[in-house]
Amino acid sequence: MSRVSAADVLVIGSGAAGAAICKRLAEKGARVVCLEQGDWIDRARLPKAHVDWEVRGRRHWAANPNVRRWSADYPVGSEGADPVDVYMYNAVGGSQVGFAGNYWRMAPSDFRVRTLDGVAADWPFDYEELAPYYTINEAEVGIAGLAGDPCGPAREPLPNPPAPIGRAGDLLVNAYEKLGWYWWPTEQAITTQAYRGRPACDNRGWCTFGCPQGSLSTADLTYWPGALEHGVELRTNARVREIVLGPDGRAIGARYYDKDGVMQEAYAAVTVVACGGLGTPRLLLMSTSAAHHEGLANSSGLVGKNLMVHVQSFATGLFDKPVDGWQGTWGGTVSTRQFYETDPARDYVRGFIMSGCPGWSALNLALQTAPWGSGHHRAFDERINHEISLYMCGEDLPEESNRVELDWSHLDGFGMPGVVTHHELNENSRRLGRDMIAHARQVLEVAGAKSVRDFGLAPIWGWHLLGTARMGDDPRTSVADRFNQAHDVPNLFIADSSSMPSSAGVNPSHTIQALALRCADHIWDRRRDWDPAG
Amino acid sequence: MAYDRKQGQYQVAQSSRPDYRLEVGRAEIPVGEPRDFVVLDQARAATLKAWTSTLIPAAGRRPDAGSVGAPEYIDATVHMVPSIQPALFHGIDEVETVARSRTGRAFTECGAAEREEILRQFHAADDTDAFNMVSDFTYEAYYGHPKVLAAIEAENGWRGTAPMTGSAMTPFDPAKLDRVRSMPPLYRTVAAGKGRKA
Repeated sequence: MSRVSAADVLVIGSGAAGAAICKRLAEKGARVVCLEQGDWIDRARLPKAHVDWEVRGRRHWAANPNVRRWSADYPVGSEGADPVDVYMYNAVGGSQVGFAGNYWRMAPSDFRVRTLDGVAADWPFDYEELAPYYTINEAEVGIAGLAGDPCGPAREPLPNPPAPIGRAGDLLVNAYEKLGWYWWPTEQAITTQAYRGRPACDNRGWCTFGCPQGSLSTADLTYWPGALEHGVELRTNARVREIVLGPDGRAIGARYYDKDGVMQEAYAAVTVVACGGLGTPRLLLMSTSAAHHEGLANSSGLVGKNLMVHVQSFATGLFDKPVDGWQGTWGGTVSTRQFYETDPARDYVRGFIMSGCPGWSALNLALQTAPWGSGHHRAFDERINHEISLYMCGEDLPEESNRVELDWSHLDGFGMPGVVTHHELNENSRRLGRDMIAHARQVLEVAGAKSVRDFGLAPIWGWHLLGTARMGDDPRTSVADRFNQAHDVPNLFIADSSSMPSSAGVNPSHTIQALALRCADHIWDRRRDWDPAG
Repeated sequence: MAYDRKQGQYQVAQSSRPDYRLEVGRAEIPVGEPRDFVVLDQARAATLKAWTSTLIPAAGRRPDAGSVGAPEYIDATVHMVPSIQPALFHGIDEVETVARSRTGRAFTECGAAEREEILRQFHAADDTDAFNMVSDFTYEAYYGHPKVLAAIEAENGWRGTAPMTGSAMTPFDPAKLDRVRSMPPLYRTVAAGKGRKA
């Protein structure tokens, strides 16, 4: 075993959160080392760099690690009444490798769900405390959109204009206008004009299949260039086995396997875990010791518990006229928060958003709707370029029984355990989901759809893996405190999607990065506390 | 890269339930590249070609799946993933068995309508997932092929190559928001710091 030089801060995970922390701290002058179990993605290999991009997205680039099985991936089992089809990437940039770029701020009420609605858990701070970090992140990432949405507090202008909404957006706008509902151009992590050295989006669409030209704001393009410029040492292919504690119970770093399978150690005054909603509890639960039989930072027993995934679905309307669905950003045209806040007239609490998308791409549509045989082309032609979809995302409430555990029966390539998730939608989520789909169908019908199909609530899309090491003020009911600092280990931070106490009803990337930036500032502000020499 | 996976009978891909959908993840086979059969013998290759052409037949400018490399793509896939070869062999042999029992002829000698009936009979009885596997791979090989995408664009305007080239669009007009901007705020205000630690 060889020893590696010390740093001020060791960050484990280079995804949305880890990248933001690394850059923020390095800019302030901290010496930062980051361990990433995957590698840089080869952007020339991204699906959309090839004409058969849809096929590549189903194989080598499949979002489910059980299909893709890159060397950095670990097995993920899915159990429970509503099993989660887990989607994540282990690579520099993390799961943003395959994201659509929808960037939302949470609403003020999202931070007070227990107080206002009697469910889930309040966040240990309010919207106003996170708002400045949302603003910083919007500039770093290059968000496209418009300030002024009456469905949220006033805010600064966004750095880039909203993406064109196309025919699909126009049809949805007409529907919302007829209904008298709120709507707004969807905010997206896409550079709609040249921004900080990245090109303007030219509407290639299907953003989740990668953006070879670099307009989609994945963390490998947004935070990492600056982080490396400021001296962050990024070690790829570093599979962390455990967090190491010193005799005083403080974290001193981590043990990991390098690309050759040789164990290494990395030491730092502060350790930050940013491995995502599955990876973070996996690492904490693997980090057992005589003093921590049930895993590190787990005196509450909540590491791995309260897994939230959002209530998600699609509704797709069929229209008479072509919608030019082959162009435009895929993640959103216009969106509505009309049903975002709790309404006592409904039979559930909390709410949901709906975002318009072009319809489906050719292979995807054929697999969904075009039967094989003599009727194939007729069925395909009826729908291709004549469909618009509404993506729906609603709040999934935390339940301790929804969880992620180590799976020692399925190991990764280094003998470390996989994980298994257990998930069941609770009754509130089911009611919310049914109402969400009904409203999406209503919008599409008012927009002029001659028929609407929806995707129901199962299986569960596992893009948003949240809450498995949640923050809070009470060490008995949370894993980390209001600054993402583990209650049990003073110089250990948990700063990613796992720290979210509730899911809200929006895509979480923006909040994950704002939380990470806030955590980084706290680490820096308290830097004298972490210096062993005092 | 996952939304296509939410379909009617789709089962969650997970580590404890192996099937072809998982096995093919590491088989990156570029669509449309010329290739020869490397696993299938000539007779089985011919049956598979007729099978894929029955799944997606020619129509208008659009070619049939067998003529744009679908059987070779399937062959290349099972070459990279030997664990699913037995299912493919079984499926091809069963299709031949059904063809001979129904018509007394080889599958390749049957007409289009007969082939479709034979495949429907095989599909209904298939408990090996071989039919679904061949269907999925055929759709992949077809809708990833540049000739097919060009034919679709020529016939109905769907630009399947636009993700490679981009296109111009009209910028969003903020005036569309005039009504919404005039509406009252629609979010709950929260007393800052209430019930919070200092």
